Amino acid sequence: MIYLKERDPSLLKTLVELGGEDLLKCYQCGTCVADCPTGFAEENLSPKRLIHMVKLGLSELLIDDESPWMCVTCTACEERCPRDAKPFEIILAIRRWQCLEDETYIPQVLSEIYERGHTQNVINPLREELDLPPIKTVIANEEMLKKFRELLRETDVVKKHGYIFGIRE
Amino acid sequence: MKVGLFLGCNMPALRPDVEKGIRLSLETLNVEVVDLVGVACCPAYGTFWSADEDAALAVCAWNYSIAESLGVDMIVQCGSCYSTLRVGRHKLLNGKLKEINERFLSKVGRKFEGKVTTKHITDFLYNDIGVDKIKESLKFSMDGLTAVVQVPCHTIRPSGILGFDDPENPQVLKELTRALGAKVPTFTRDKQCCGGAGGFARHNRKAAMEFLKLKLDSMKEEVDPDCIVVSCITCLMWMDEAQEEMRKQRMINYKIPVFDYNQLLAICQGHDPSKVSRIAATSRDEVIKKILENKL
Repeated sequence: MIYLKERDPSLLKTLVELGGEDLLKCYQCGTCVADCPTGFAEENLSPKRLIHMVKLGLSELLIDDESPWMCVTCTACEERCPRDAKPFEIILAIRRWQCLEDETYIPQVLSEIYERGHTQNVINPLREELDLPPIKTVIANEEMLKKFRELLRETDVVKKHGYIFGIRE
Repeated sequence: MKVGLFLGCNMPALRPDVEKGIRLSLETLNVEVVDLVGVACCPAYGTFWSADEDAALAVCAWNYSIAESLGVDMIVQCGSCYSTLRVGRHKLLNGKLKEINERFLSKVGRKFEGKVTTKHITDFLYNDIGVDKIKESLKFSMDGLTAVVQVPCHTIRPSGILGFDDPENPQVLKELTRALGAKVPTFTRDKQCCGGAGGFARHNRKAAMEFLKLKLDSMKEEVDPDCIVVSCITCLMWMDEAQEEMRKQRMINYKIPVFDYNQLLAICQGHDPSKVSRIAATSRDEVIKKILENKL
C-alpha cells in the first residue's frame, strides 16, 4: 500500500540532476527487467520498479532499497530500452542519491583508490617471476600519486567526507 | 605501431600472467607497448561513478591526459575499464570537458584535449593488426580443438557510445579464435553475459552462479567445448573460479578451462605457457598439451 502523503516531490528533480534525466521517458514496459541477469535472484534488480518509485516520490522506500548495488553493469537494459530512458544511468543516479542521503552507501573502495590509485594492491610479487617490468601506474610513482590525491581532494565526495579518506580537517 | 597498455586493477593484482601474455603476443606482432606512467583505476562503475559522477570524470580525464601527453591511444583488456573509459570520454567530449579540466585537472597541471581514445584489445587485434598477420605469427595451432567465446558485455554495449562489433551478434572474438585454428561453434546461450561483473555476485552469489550454470550447461550439452575463450579479466576470473566453486558445491560435474585470448595467442606463438598461462582454478593442461602437439 502506498500512502500518498509520504510522497517526496523533490525526489524526481534530484534524480534528474544526478544523471537520471531520461527517466520520464519510461513507460513501464519492463524490457529492462526481462533482460537483466539478476532475474535469477529471489529479489531481483528491477529498473522499472525503481523508476516507478522515483516518479511516485517514495524516498523512504528507495533509501532502504539495496537492489541498485547488485547491477552487473552489463547495460543490456540501456541497449534494449525502447524509449531510450537509459535505465543504467538511472541506476547509477539512484546510487548517487543514496550516497548523498546516507553516507554509509559510499563504497569503501573509494578510499582505496585515494590511498593507492587502484581498487587493490596491483603490485603482485609474481611479476618478477614472470619477467614482467615493474608497475609504472600511480601506485609506484610518488610524485604522481601526490598529484592524484590533490585532484581527488577537489571533488565533492572527498571534500564532504574527508574522514572516509583519512583526511583531517 | 605504438599503443599505451592500460592495465586496470584486477589484471596486475590477480592475474599478472594475462599481462605477460598480452605483452609477449603484442611484441611478437611488432607492436610497441608504452607504459602509461601514473595512470590510476579507470574508475570502475562501482567506485566514483556510483557516488559522484564529476569525480569519476576527473579520474577518467586524468588517465586520458597521461595517454595524450605520450601521444598514444590506450588499449585495454578489462571490459569494465573499456566501458568506463569510453563512456567517460563520450561524456567529456559531449559537454563536460571544459568544466572537468578547469575544476580538477588544471589544479594539478594537467589537461585532456580529447585527442586520444581507448580501444579494446580484440578491436585492436582484429581491426588494426588483422587476422592474416596473427596467422603469420603462429608456431602452433588450435587445430582439432573446439572453443566457445565469451564476448564481454562491456565491449558491445551501449553500442551508441562504444563498441566495434555487432552488439546483437558479435563476431570479432570468434574470428580471432578461428585464426588460431580452433573450431568455434554457436550454441543456444552463446550471447549470454557471464554475470560476474558489478555487484551481482557480491550481493547474491548463489543466483549469479545459477545464471552462469545456465550458460555452462548449454555449451557443455550442445557443443562440449575444449575451452572457453574470453577477453575480459572479470569474465576470466568469474567463469574459471566460480566453476571450481560450483564443482565443490556439486552444482556441476564437468570442467571447461578458461583462457584469455592473448594467453592462447601467446602460447600459439611459441611463448612459455608457464609464464603466460600460470594461474587457473580449472586446469588448462590438456588444452595446452594439445596445442603444443600441433606444430605448424
